Amino acid sequence: MDPLLRLWGVSLGYKGRPVLDGVSFVIERGEFAALLGPNGAGKTTLFRGILGLIPVLAGRIEYGFDRRATPPGYVPQKESLDPIFPLTAYEVVLMGAAARVLPLWPVGRRRRHLAAECLARVGLSDAAEEPFWALSGGQKQRVLIARALAVEPPLLLLDEPTAGVDPGAEAAIIDVIMRLNRDEGLTVVIVSHHLRLVREVVRSVIWVEEASATKGTAAEMLSTERLVDAFGTAAGRPL
Amino acid sequence: MSTLAEMLSRDFLLHNALVGSVLVGLVCPLVGVYFVLRRMIFLGVALPQLSAAGVAFAFLLKSVAGVHQHGESGERVLAIIGSLGFAFVGLLVLAALERQGRQTVEARIGITYAFAAAASILFVAADPYGEAEMTHLLKGDIVTTTGTGLRLLAGVLGAVALALFALRKEFLLVSFDRDMAVVLGKRAALWDTVLYLLIGVTISFGVMTAGPLVTFGFLVAPPLTARLVTRHMPAFSVVAAAFGAVTAFVGFYFAYRFDLPLGPMDVALAIFVLIFVGVFRGAVRAVRWRRLQR
Repeated sequence: MDPLLRLWGVSLGYKGRPVLDGVSFVIERGEFAALLGPNGAGKTTLFRGILGLIPVLAGRIEYGFDRRATPPGYVPQKESLDPIFPLTAYEVVLMGAAARVLPLWPVGRRRRHLAAECLARVGLSDAAEEPFWALSGGQKQRVLIARALAVEPPLLLLDEPTAGVDPGAEAAIIDVIMRLNRDEGLTVVIVSHHLRLVREVVRSVIWVEEASATKGTAAEMLSTERLVDAFGTAAGRPL
Repeated sequence: MSTLAEMLSRDFLLHNALVGSVLVGLVCPLVGVYFVLRRMIFLGVALPQLSAAGVAFAFLLKSVAGVHQHGESGERVLAIIGSLGFAFVGLLVLAALERQGRQTVEARIGITYAFAAAASILFVAADPYGEAEMTHLLKGDIVTTTGTGLRLLAGVLGAVALALFALRKEFLLVSFDRDMAVVLGKRAALWDTVLYLLIGVTISFGVMTAGPLVTFGFLVAPPLTARLVTRHMPAFSVVAAAFGAVTAFVGFYFAYRFDLPLGPMDVALAIFVLIFVGVFRGAVRAVRWRRLQR
């Protein structure tokens, strides 16, 4: 047991009103977990709470790493970023690489090299000088994964990384995430509606429903009854 | 050609006005790129108006309280305090309302503009003294720029440009992906405040030097033009500033040569450049597209 993230009776919500209450679970180092549940159940709230984007109303979240020195890698949905910014793929990744550079200090050669290396890790070296907004949905998502990797994080958190991309791009994204977890031992937590993806690649599932969250293995948590109950009859069919 | 030579001569009567105009044209777009990127362009019209209302308010207070600051420097200090105060408070209130998600952006900025425009007129109407001087300041009578005023303007706008350059990676991160900035442990609210402070200072000095109309024009038009032709952030800022400075210089040339008002000339020219670059870029794209289809 080597916990990387531990939630103790955590309450999360907005403007003092809890959406989730009494949430407790542990994420082990090297684990690949998915946050799953019906729409509006509180997946995003839990995700944002873990990232520190919303305050914890009660309980506590313990990180098995120094959040200031090594922040988690955050991969938002590509739609949340405005295409008006004139940035190349490399410049987007450089934002992650420059995370630990103090204000007023220039981004040094090592950080620039790290950004290029992270782009290579997601297979996008050739797109480094392409405008970020001109990339395909799948490529944008991989650039954002590269940006998260450039932070050199102990934990990678991804918000619906395969939303709105075609099957080919989806396979490329999943391949990158699986390699990072399997080959590099990076702990991954993913928010997804993609049941086939979750069944195939994720070892554990945090099921968010009725203002609470329960963790178990993928096999336990993705029972036909639970899926039919949450998503309707189509979700319970064998994939 | 002789007009150009005259303008470039050291003895040029309007040397201070020319340099001041180019400085405003150079630095306003550097701030304006964040208006464009953060999709707050209409804030660019509301804030200069608010800043102008601040100038009028400061003069009104002086008259009502019977405080008499004598001489040009005293008037200028009052104008700076009023202008900066209104611009900065307005920015902070708008930012706070934005975070609370009250009303739409358009509604907030529209109300701010309407309030600022009405308040400016009311403050001027209520002030029994110094209306002419205040009207000059509100119009941004750049022709009257003195050596001291120019040095102050150069110092302040130079400091703003330096700060924007030095803190560019922080400003870019909080503007592009605020959540990411927070996750990385950056104080997003602090960086927003610093950026707003720089915006407030630039607008205040821009308004006092060139007036609200020119300030708005230079905040918005050169960055929009630069956005059409650049693919990198550093190039975006540099090209926007270059467009602004060149427009200010050429605008000054036309205004002087044909005896036209400088402010409207600058703005009309900036908009003309924007339209020209937009049409030219569209034509180039159309030609490329046709070639690809062949």
